[in-house]
Amino acid sequence: MSDGPRGRDAPDAPDHRRDRPARLRDRLERRALAGLTAATVAVLAVVFYYPIGTVLVESVVVDGAVTLGVFARLLRDPFYFGEFARLFAGEGPIAVARALVGPDRRLGIVGFTAYQAALSTVASVALGLPAAYLLARFEFPGRRTLRSLTIVPFVLPSIMVAVGYVATFGRNGTLNVLLGAVGLGPVELMFTLEAIVIAHAFYNAPLVARVTTAAWESVDAGAVETARSLGAGPLRAFLDVVAPQVYPAVLMGAALTFVFTFGTFPIVLALGGFELATVEVFVYRLARDLNYAEAAALAVVELVISLTVLGAYLRYEARHTVTSRGVRPLPRRPLVPSAPTPGDVLTRLGLGVYGGVAALVFLAPIVSMVLASVTGGDGALTLDHYRFLLDRQRTGAAFQVRPWPAVRNSLVFAAASALVALPMGVVVAVVTTRRYRGRKLVDAVAMAPFAVSGILVGLGLLRGLVFGVEVAGWRIAVAGSAAIVAAHAVAGYPFVVRTVAPGLESLDRSLIESARALGASRARVLRDVELPLVWPGVVAGAAFAVAISMGEFTATVVLATGADAYTMPVAIERFIGRRLGPATAMGVVLLVVTGLSFVVIERLGGEYDGI
Amino acid sequence: MGSERDDASAPVAVELEGVSKRYDGAVAVEGVDLRIREGEFFTLVGPSGCGKTTTLRLIAGFEEPTAGTVRFDGRDVSGVPPEGRNVGVVFQNYALFPHMTVGENVGYGLRFSDPPGGVSPAERVRELLDLVDLPGTADRDPESLSGGQRQRVAMARALAPGPDLLLLDEPMSALDARLRERLRLQVRGIQRELGITTVYVTHDQEEALSVSDRVAVMRDGTPEQVAPPRTVYRRPASRFVAEFVGDNNVFEGVVAGGESGDGDGQGGRNGTTGGDGNRGGPGTVPVDVGGTTLHVAVGGRDDAVNGVPAPGDRITFCVRPQHLRVGRGDNGFRADVESAEFLGETTRVHLGWGDRELVVRTEDPLRGTVAVGFDPANAHVISVASTADTS
Repeated sequence: MSDGPRGRDAPDAPDHRRDRPARLRDRLERRALAGLTAATVAVLAVVFYYPIGTVLVESVVVDGAVTLGVFARLLRDPFYFGEFARLFAGEGPIAVARALVGPDRRLGIVGFTAYQAALSTVASVALGLPAAYLLARFEFPGRRTLRSLTIVPFVLPSIMVAVGYVATFGRNGTLNVLLGAVGLGPVELMFTLEAIVIAHAFYNAPLVARVTTAAWESVDAGAVETARSLGAGPLRAFLDVVAPQVYPAVLMGAALTFVFTFGTFPIVLALGGFELATVEVFVYRLARDLNYAEAAALAVVELVISLTVLGAYLRYEARHTVTSRGVRPLPRRPLVPSAPTPGDVLTRLGLGVYGGVAALVFLAPIVSMVLASVTGGDGALTLDHYRFLLDRQRTGAAFQVRPWPAVRNSLVFAAASALVALPMGVVVAVVTTRRYRGRKLVDAVAMAPFAVSGILVGLGLLRGLVFGVEVAGWRIAVAGSAAIVAAHAVAGYPFVVRTVAPGLESLDRSLIESARALGASRARVLRDVELPLVWPGVVAGAAFAVAISMGEFTATVVLATGADAYTMPVAIERFIGRRLGPATAMGVVLLVVTGLSFVVIERLGGEYDGI
Repeated sequence: MGSERDDASAPVAVELEGVSKRYDGAVAVEGVDLRIREGEFFTLVGPSGCGKTTTLRLIAGFEEPTAGTVRFDGRDVSGVPPEGRNVGVVFQNYALFPHMTVGENVGYGLRFSDPPGGVSPAERVRELLDLVDLPGTADRDPESLSGGQRQRVAMARALAPGPDLLLLDEPMSALDARLRERLRLQVRGIQRELGITTVYVTHDQEEALSVSDRVAVMRDGTPEQVAPPRTVYRRPASRFVAEFVGDNNVFEGVVAGGESGDGDGQGGRNGTTGGDGNRGGPGTVPVDVGGTTLHVAVGGRDDAVNGVPAPGDRITFCVRPQHLRVGRGDNGFRADVESAEFLGETTRVHLGWGDRELVVRTEDPLRGTVAVGFDPANAHVISVASTADTS
């Protein structure tokens, strides 16, 4: 060939690399990733860390003086900490312990919150594990669909689920209608702990099932076969080989469930009322009463507890992470065996019972909501509730909640926040999948929005950027709607990270290195090689971001106060207090819109790793 | 063999000076000095963990050295990212982009630089696929190719932008032995045709010997010997090299004669020992190996040691299996046959001599105890330590 390598045969040959404008672009490209990273850091700082900082400051600065008095009062208040308050007030631990096991113990708001979170975690694991067993170990028609359906609760707006459960458990709810039909008396589940726990299980059991199934599927059949060949029976092989690999995933599901349910808001607000208030609900109430210092202090206490649980889990995870690649998964058994043994029958019976319970838990709220939306006060089918929404849209006063602005706002906020969350999430995924010192810290800082309550973020944004900040003599204030988009983006981008990062992590490094050796800048490799290969994860992340925004209630309800920046979930909440019918009708609208984003996940996303 | 070229006058294309790389205290590469010449096929060979791949990655720019300097054509390239170094890299697993066709893979580098020779990118891709003997595969999916074909596509992709330097990181080790032999000839042929400076990493010493102009045998992060394959094979510079490159028998002993020897009194120069009738010739020294005296030629052109070892010096030398003759009575010893491997063309016989393990090559398997000996000229002295050094 005529072209020898440059510099040897033809040392004076013109450089066949790019000319000047192209070189300039190369330089920009080279900086692109750093620029995006800086932008991500800036967004996080302005709309997440700064607001949280504002709240923190507010909790320790009273009338211009730094004090821990608010915290001290909080910790010693039995209203918040129950018997534990006596511990903080200086009483001996034994007396407190005795009071705790006594019949008339008081848990306080914080204690109750932890208690219901623990119960919800147990319920979620109990409901999630059989599903994981079914999905990981059995083959049946529709298995893949069912597996992908386990992400539905994630994208379902919590306020909508709450409405669904109100429609199920309410005095005239489907449950009591059914019980009445078979001659049983009405049961009162509204505003009970049971209702809250069931609703939490609805949300979090699929999460447990999902992470556990993934771990179970990554158990190498070869390892089990080796154990069997060495003399272990099926149960022993399960306990020695399978269980240790599945167990960390269960723990992860449990830890996340605890954190999520500890910070629960819409479900308790709708199902528990203020009688069964959790910390988050109380923070909201305090903030609404303009008692910001106490609200901030309480939010900080909540944050500390959440982060402690999450931190403990992450420490555990760091020590127990097993990465298995290229495994041959355990073969699945047919759900309907051709020649069933008695053991087979028993297993299937158990799974059948479980299926019934699961169907009740997962389908009841949706079905009830849809039913309630087309049922009139007299029990007859009617479209009155939808008509009400249309009428309200036509004739509603300015101060009233109208449906179309809610739908429009939800869609606009969702699109805008996804546009922000997507590049942020991708950048964080890239930055956290590379190996370097301090990566863990970056990971923690970037993933904190996962664990921080929406009320806290909303409150911080409201008190800071929305009310206005003085910067060098300029008053900077952002519109409530911009703050909502920011809050949604911050809530959504960790999901983008979680769907994109596992794919990036599993990419062969030599692909990236090959591309770089061929002349591609780091940003170019991301565009040309990495993102196309993890595309399903990116699309799924985008769909998550949209769905999270669509369903986000907590921060939105704080920020939408007074403004007309209300979204569908906020509209539902405003309806729910007065009349259930329109709330359920609005819920169905939300269900349809959110369902579309699920379709996007399914259609474009396909299979992806991660949550 | 027979293809190697050691043109010391060629300009230096890549220079490593005092290059070290540590990861969290663990040393991957330590004080490496290498000069790779223009157009040379240079191979880094050594056992796993010897630092050969790290050295290649330092040259490619995937890693930055913790100490020392890497120069291309005399220019310090520290801080220059891989995309600025104009290198072509082929990995063991080929690393073809699975979402691109074969043609898109080969053409990827042409998105960032114009094809050399003034041809269009499409033309260049066709040229390269012809070069690696895969014409007409441009629209194929990489997944549809065999391992050897993928390896050639990876080669074409690396060469397409006309790199100054080709870096091959164990490109054959995922292939079966026969295919590997054929491919390495092809790689060598392409390298010759383009005259491109090439750095090749392999753990397979046979591969290293067969294709290289020069070989660097690495151990524990440092090259132990850098020389043409024949020299490395015939005149290993260290016991490690002697034993890593091909089968070898390494002996350690003490130069006999003088005050510690049999009273010859003349030093080692023309030393003979009469005891068992062994006879050294001019240029040999008698060496006492575990009580047996063996004659070893010294002062050869490529010997690691210049000058003549003095009596009492500790000496290490080696004799290749094919030079250790079974049945030779003089300059030898009797050893026990321990096992034999039939290799087809020859049989590799393992012998025990005292606590030493030796290897010889024979036509037929052996049994019992056999006499083995060697021509002193076929012994290569690896090192000599004078008594003054050791005491």
